Amino acid sequence: MDLKQIMQNYFLDLDAAAKDPDRKVAWCTSVGPAEILRAMGFDVYFPENHGAMLGATRLCMETIPVANSKGYSPEICSYLTSDIGAYLKNITPLAKAYGVEDVPRPDVLVYNTNQCKDVMHWFEFYAREFDAPIFGIHSPAHLPEVEPEHIANVVAQFKQLIRSLEEITQEKFDPKKLERCLALSSGATSLWSEVLKTAIADPSPFSFFDATIFMGPIVVLRGTEIARDYYRDLLMELEQKVATTRSRENAVQKRVYWEGMPIWGRLRHLSELFKRNDTCVVASTYCNSWIFADFDPHDPLPSMALAYLQIFINRNDTYKEKYISDMVKMYSVDGVIFHAAKTCPNNSNSYYNLPGRLKRNGIPTIVIDGDLCDLRCFSDEQSTNVIEAFLETL
Amino acid sequence: MKEPSAQLSENARYYWGVDCGSSEIKVVLCDASGNILHKKKGKTLFPLYQNVYNALNDGDATPFVENSPITKDNHKIIATGYGRHHLQFVDDKLTEIKAHFLGVQHQLKLDVPYTIIDIGGQDAKVITIDNSKVDEFAMNRKCAAGTGAFIEELAHRLEVPIGDMTKLANQHDKEFMLNSFCTVFSGQEVIKTLMNGERIENLIFALYRSVVKRVLEMTVVSTDIVAFSGGVIAHHPLLVELFGQKLSDKEMVLTPETQYCGALGAAVHGMSV
Ligand code: SF4
Repeated sequence: MDLKQIMQNYFLDLDAAAKDPDRKVAWCTSVGPAEILRAMGFDVYFPENHGAMLGATRLCMETIPVANSKGYSPEICSYLTSDIGAYLKNITPLAKAYGVEDVPRPDVLVYNTNQCKDVMHWFEFYAREFDAPIFGIHSPAHLPEVEPEHIANVVAQFKQLIRSLEEITQEKFDPKKLERCLALSSGATSLWSEVLKTAIADPSPFSFFDATIFMGPIVVLRGTEIARDYYRDLLMELEQKVATTRSRENAVQKRVYWEGMPIWGRLRHLSELFKRNDTCVVASTYCNSWIFADFDPHDPLPSMALAYLQIFINRNDTYKEKYISDMVKMYSVDGVIFHAAKTCPNNSNSYYNLPGRLKRNGIPTIVIDGDLCDLRCFSDEQSTNVIEAFLETL
Repeated sequence: MKEPSAQLSENARYYWGVDCGSSEIKVVLCDASGNILHKKKGKTLFPLYQNVYNALNDGDATPFVENSPITKDNHKIIATGYGRHHLQFVDDKLTEIKAHFLGVQHQLKLDVPYTIIDIGGQDAKVITIDNSKVDEFAMNRKCAAGTGAFIEELAHRLEVPIGDMTKLANQHDKEFMLNSFCTVFSGQEVIKTLMNGERIENLIFALYRSVVKRVLEMTVVSTDIVAFSGGVIAHHPLLVELFGQKLSDKEMVLTPETQYCGALGAAVHGMSV
């Protein structure tokens, strides 16, 4: 099935679920415990994905100011302000893209603070609006290593979450269902990892900008056959592409790494900018965020806790430095571009001199200012200049 | 006023560097050895294309067929600056970072590591040169503090002609700092300071010091030699002295063709492509 169809079916089905009194919809953060929710029969909706759509369609530029005027600062997560503004303005990009008029009403909201605290405030807004129950997994943050006590802490929270969800579904939690769901999720996520690794080839079969599109199913359909099958097919396609594209002799293409959030409203502009400069953005931390290599269907809750605590964004800078250095080697990258996203300090690793530390290890780096959604924080001219000048130095 | 024009030969090769900055367009014409035969500058105005075209078609130096952007075979046109992507008829483009490096290097011929401080209309750059190439660079981020726009805005508020500022600043009898980072808020601070009875000479001096401070906040200058380029330095030579006071253990060098470094660098780049 093609990507557009997969995403359309997902949103249409979610819409149907929201309108069916016998089905239940859960809202979940992108690196939240979606597998538990799915295993317990919920249809799962991801507001961050909606935020990204608002950014990519640039509808956010109409909706962020609405949230700002209601007291949500322009300095906080612009997924949050885009999304809450859209709700207040009663518009959604889903209407034009998939013919879905409203985002699905939640029966429960579940967030995980492993990525940031903004999601908590965001979900709390909707919990009040919809008068719906809300649960948070409060993860130990910024870890150098994930220790057994961290895992035990999160497993206990998962168990508590399951008990609370049982009250909502009025059904007993079935561990077998979680095992199956986690197996599917694990399958999809390792296929996604293989997909991304095909970009190690030179020339790379796709760029970061393509990957931000391919990643739809791994974000919204983890734990389903659909995601697994999509990535199995995509992997085959990309492997074929790599096999049939002869390695260029005297390759002129530069290879760079993107660190930080995508600038959703400028993907096309940036993609063309890199193309024009014979450069491929071969890898990114962002797209790698949906690789959960630790998922183990035979040990569901602890392995989920480990996987969700392990994520890059939840680690300290020593870990991050090593992670990016390893990526630079693995993808034969010539330089790293840090995107300092004004409204997401959590995903902006240039703030405490990580670029300087990498530079000292011989990895060229540069920082550009911007934002995931709010284009008021991004200057086309200035960033073009900085990026092109950086590429000239590589 | 017309610049003196050059006699061009049909058989020689010529290189035009066009620096399309945010406030001025600078054009130089070089021969194959990189000697400047002709130079001209004008305001960056809409339509950009027409303005650049006019600058290129100045006097007898024109290598172009009238009303056509088509160059003769022995001429190459290279563009740099913010407007570079809007010029369709050029042979190649490069960023100002590299262009300023090439322009400065062409004039100073340094074979040791050095730093270029280039203050432009809307951006300030600190470029480190090592092994005869750009090693790294820093630019002002997001805001215009420390750039020509900042000085211009405040000159406007003070109703002082740009050309008089260095002279006035030299008559200061007191030193203090402007605190605001943002150009507009600095404007408010300036007005408030004036209302409190401060001399305008002292204010302009403070303004220059704040430009120096903002630029040096961007990065650490690690080399022994600092070369200056860019139009703002040409209009405000006192800045070099003030940088020198802050970087007292380093040698300050004002590049001869300060304003034309970018354009000259573009022309020099043309010789290698
Ligand atoms: S991690 Fe950043 S983009 Fe994602 S929800 Fe948090 S603040 Fe927003």
